[in-house]
Amino acid sequence: MIFNWFKIFIYHLKQNKLFSFLNVLGLSIGIAGVIFAILYWNNENTYDQWNPEKENVYQVLNKIGATGDIWPSSTIPFGVTCKATIPEIESICFFDSWYYEEIIKYQNQKWMGKKIIVADYDFFDAFPFPIVKGAKKDILKEKNSVAISEDEAKKIFKNEDPIGKIVINDNKSYVIKSVYKVMSPSSIEPNYVFGGLLEDGDANNWGNFNYTLMIKVRKGTSEESLLKKMQNVNFVNRTMKDAKANGQTPEEYVKENGEVKVILDPLDKARLYGTKSTAGVNFPEGKGNLQLLYIMVGLSILILILSLVNYINLATASAVKRAKEVGVRKIVGASKTQIIAQFIFETAIIVVLAILFALAIVELSLPYYNNFLRKSLTMNGSEFYLQLIFIFGLVIVLAGIFPAVYISNFETLKVLKGNFSRSKSGIWIRNSMLIFQFGIAAFFIIGALIVNSQVNYMMNKDLGFTGDQVIKIPLKSPDRNKKIQQYLTIKQELLKLSGVQDVSTFAGSFGNSTNSSSGFTYNGVFVQPRNVDMDFGFLDMMKIKIVKGRDLSPKYASDTISNWLINETLAKTLGLKNPINTIISSGWGNEKGNLKFKIVGVVKDFHITGFQNKVPPMVFISIKTLKWNNFDNIYVKVSPNNLTGTLDKLKTYWEKNINQDYPFQYEFVNKGFAKTYQEQVKQKDLFFILNLVVIIIAIFGLFALASFSMERRLKEIAIRKTLGAETDALLKDLSKQYVVFCLIGFVIGIIPAYILLQKWLEDFAFRINVSVIPFSIALISLLALTLIIVLTKAYQVTKIDILKYLKYE
Amino acid sequence: MITIQNLTKVFRTEEVETAALSGITLEIKKGDFLTIMGPSGCGKSTLLNIIGLLDSATGGSYKLLDQEMVGLKEKGRAVVRKENIGFIFQNFNLIDELSVYDNIELPLLYNNVKASDRKQKIEAIAEKLNISHRLKHFPQQLSGGQQQRVAVARALVNDPKIILADEPTGNLDSKNGNEVMELLTDLHAKGATILMVTHSDYDASFSQRTIHMKDGVIFSERLNQRNVDVFMDAK
Repeated sequence: MIFNWFKIFIYHLKQNKLFSFLNVLGLSIGIAGVIFAILYWNNENTYDQWNPEKENVYQVLNKIGATGDIWPSSTIPFGVTCKATIPEIESICFFDSWYYEEIIKYQNQKWMGKKIIVADYDFFDAFPFPIVKGAKKDILKEKNSVAISEDEAKKIFKNEDPIGKIVINDNKSYVIKSVYKVMSPSSIEPNYVFGGLLEDGDANNWGNFNYTLMIKVRKGTSEESLLKKMQNVNFVNRTMKDAKANGQTPEEYVKENGEVKVILDPLDKARLYGTKSTAGVNFPEGKGNLQLLYIMVGLSILILILSLVNYINLATASAVKRAKEVGVRKIVGASKTQIIAQFIFETAIIVVLAILFALAIVELSLPYYNNFLRKSLTMNGSEFYLQLIFIFGLVIVLAGIFPAVYISNFETLKVLKGNFSRSKSGIWIRNSMLIFQFGIAAFFIIGALIVNSQVNYMMNKDLGFTGDQVIKIPLKSPDRNKKIQQYLTIKQELLKLSGVQDVSTFAGSFGNSTNSSSGFTYNGVFVQPRNVDMDFGFLDMMKIKIVKGRDLSPKYASDTISNWLINETLAKTLGLKNPINTIISSGWGNEKGNLKFKIVGVVKDFHITGFQNKVPPMVFISIKTLKWNNFDNIYVKVSPNNLTGTLDKLKTYWEKNINQDYPFQYEFVNKGFAKTYQEQVKQKDLFFILNLVVIIIAIFGLFALASFSMERRLKEIAIRKTLGAETDALLKDLSKQYVVFCLIGFVIGIIPAYILLQKWLEDFAFRINVSVIPFSIALISLLALTLIIVLTKAYQVTKIDILKYLKYE
Repeated sequence: MITIQNLTKVFRTEEVETAALSGITLEIKKGDFLTIMGPSGCGKSTLLNIIGLLDSATGGSYKLLDQEMVGLKEKGRAVVRKENIGFIFQNFNLIDELSVYDNIELPLLYNNVKASDRKQKIEAIAEKLNISHRLKHFPQQLSGGQQQRVAVARALVNDPKIILADEPTGNLDSKNGNEVMELLTDLHAKGATILMVTHSDYDASFSQRTIHMKDGVIFSERLNQRNVDVFMDAK
């Protein structure tokens, strides 16, 4: 039986080579899309799943009452107090939420250590990487201890036993206590875990939210009650004390200033569903991009549906050609079930082919996809194969059953009497599916256009500063207290180099905001402006404009003591009509109380973070005023002429005079800023590629369906021609319905496109308005495509030999 | 009305060259009722198709209303065809998806007849052919004779100069066949020009003139003396 089915399948495959190929190709593109989405989905969802403590480990975040900012970091005393007073907490650990890169030395080897974590307390309790060698407990108890990963240990020590060896980091000696195996993927995959994170000065400072705090609790601890207890620790030790200092009751204080709210993210969900913090990154390995993941999954499902619809459409349309076969089979005794089985069998063969094809597509384009996601996904794992089998089953069910049932329901007598080829049955389903396809195509075209115009908008928006010629060079200073001196020396030296036009600095970077922020209250309004701790001439070098008053200048002695600039947003927030010469009591103080600053100028708003955020309020002071020394880059304006030469000179100077250990690194400021929207550029590219795919599949579908339905009408066309129909009239007649379908589909596609894209745009404080233009372009291009396809086919059928169809049908 | 001189039609395939028509000369005057007879493959259908402008000749001359048709492009032929020629086929060639009314309306649509005139004309012709009560039906719902009457109505609705009938009774039983033939005779009596291809001597006897064809040539032509044959009619 199966052999018989197979023979007839092969016969039809050969008969309709083009359509069979398009069918397989369409399905395989759809399946490939789903495989891509699955690979991404699997990867993101396996983060931290290796961790046996994933349900008992929480990251502690803090929502700052006054500004609503959420920081993925905590203070040391808070963590320590919680551990001491809440019995459910088994252990805590602190670390910085980013990786360091540092020069590490061992005997006479020297190399750039990457993925370095500096931690304290029980890091390996929260992240129990299996210990391969050395101590299994209290690894980081001594401040000079370090644990290293297995791979790194092999690289450094080859066959020697690393335990007890001493490595040097930042001129300090560390003893290797343990070697661990990195489990991947994990929210943190360090090569080195150094101990001794905590500085003594921070131990009792409730104001320094500097460290990532992880807590591990007893199994079965209720998150809710834990949170309550932690919040209470906060209230007793922070809010009540602050209120007392202000001479208020805690209630009054909270009402006026808000309070710090504790947030807990369980580790097993932190990667994808963790709280969105102001910093954006909660863990060194970053955050899962849930939006992109949803977009990928959603779009790939849409594409699969599109290709399934295509398959069903083609299968039912071409089923008419098989009607006689079905009739004969029924007469000789086939039951309905057998007919259904036969056609599902054919679908199964097609799906197997399509899956093989899809795997080939995925295999070939996986490097590009990995590059796009910056991951290294591979196709393996039992889970993946199970999912593949599931897809196989699902596609067969969705694609196969409908056509099979449809065919099995042909009425034997009608079929055998002939004339069936012009039957109308199933037409409305095919047409509504076609409309649905047009809807999806419209959605994709509109989506791509809107994403594209938002990206263009971001790329071309006036940032308020000019960073084309300015490069950012990281400056590592051995002694923080002498940083200004060091900077001023370097500045002098660099200005001597030809090609260097200007040198300046500020504590921050474009795209990533400034390094600090301090709140104060003025006229009853609390504000938390970003601090721009800058050198003189910085605004001028970046071509940031002053709208009122003047820039800070070395000419005025008071500019390094008690003068500052504010930006337009701050002036507006504080309601200052004439801000110049206003004296404000700042958030910074010494033993004599808060320092007072006089506004000498208002700076035009410029973008310091990406377009997702509004321009924050800012204050600008000279680096010499408070001597924080927290700038970590030097900004150099270079001449566009002989750029390579200038960069070479800078490199030579840097490596010779500043730091022999670190390679010279630089980045153009405008490129650094462009990173704030690289995610959207990716989404734009993604949309563009998917658009091509969708349009190709939709065109296959439209062409095939138009072909089938027009070929069914050949006799009618012949009669009409005999009666005098001219080509124009026939073309109009044949393509009219497709234009109508296209329009209906477009209307259906508009609504989800508008809603979803509007939602996408909501992420941006600076965004385009959705105009009618993308909709009109989408409509016109969709119509044009439809007309091209349909008219080509229609023209072909109007050229038929009339006599053949008048006589022989 | 139609003057054909030395008309030839050659079918070429890669291997064989077949002459379907070799030097046909024929004249049809206004008001003629002419029948072409002959065995299968004699070229009679080819001749009819060329006269109906569904096919083109290889050589010779074919003048319709003093206008040369040989060498005319498809587009030009379509124009002449829709204005001057009405077709009746053996297998009716009605569009199943359209109602009787819509089928009859087609030639009027292609000749850009105004909507109000169309309705009038269709109703008039339906009345004449006794299918008024069937206008809303679809072809598959009618008997063969009724379908052929719809086809005749469609052929006549635009007042063509000549009616071409290709075995109009071939798919009908004798009663319905007779009805159709009487219809044609009736039309002829009212002045219509008709060219018919048939296998049936009986059908041919309704016409004025019969030409016999064989192997692409006309080998005989005779005038029919139509005697009112009481016995035949009674059959």
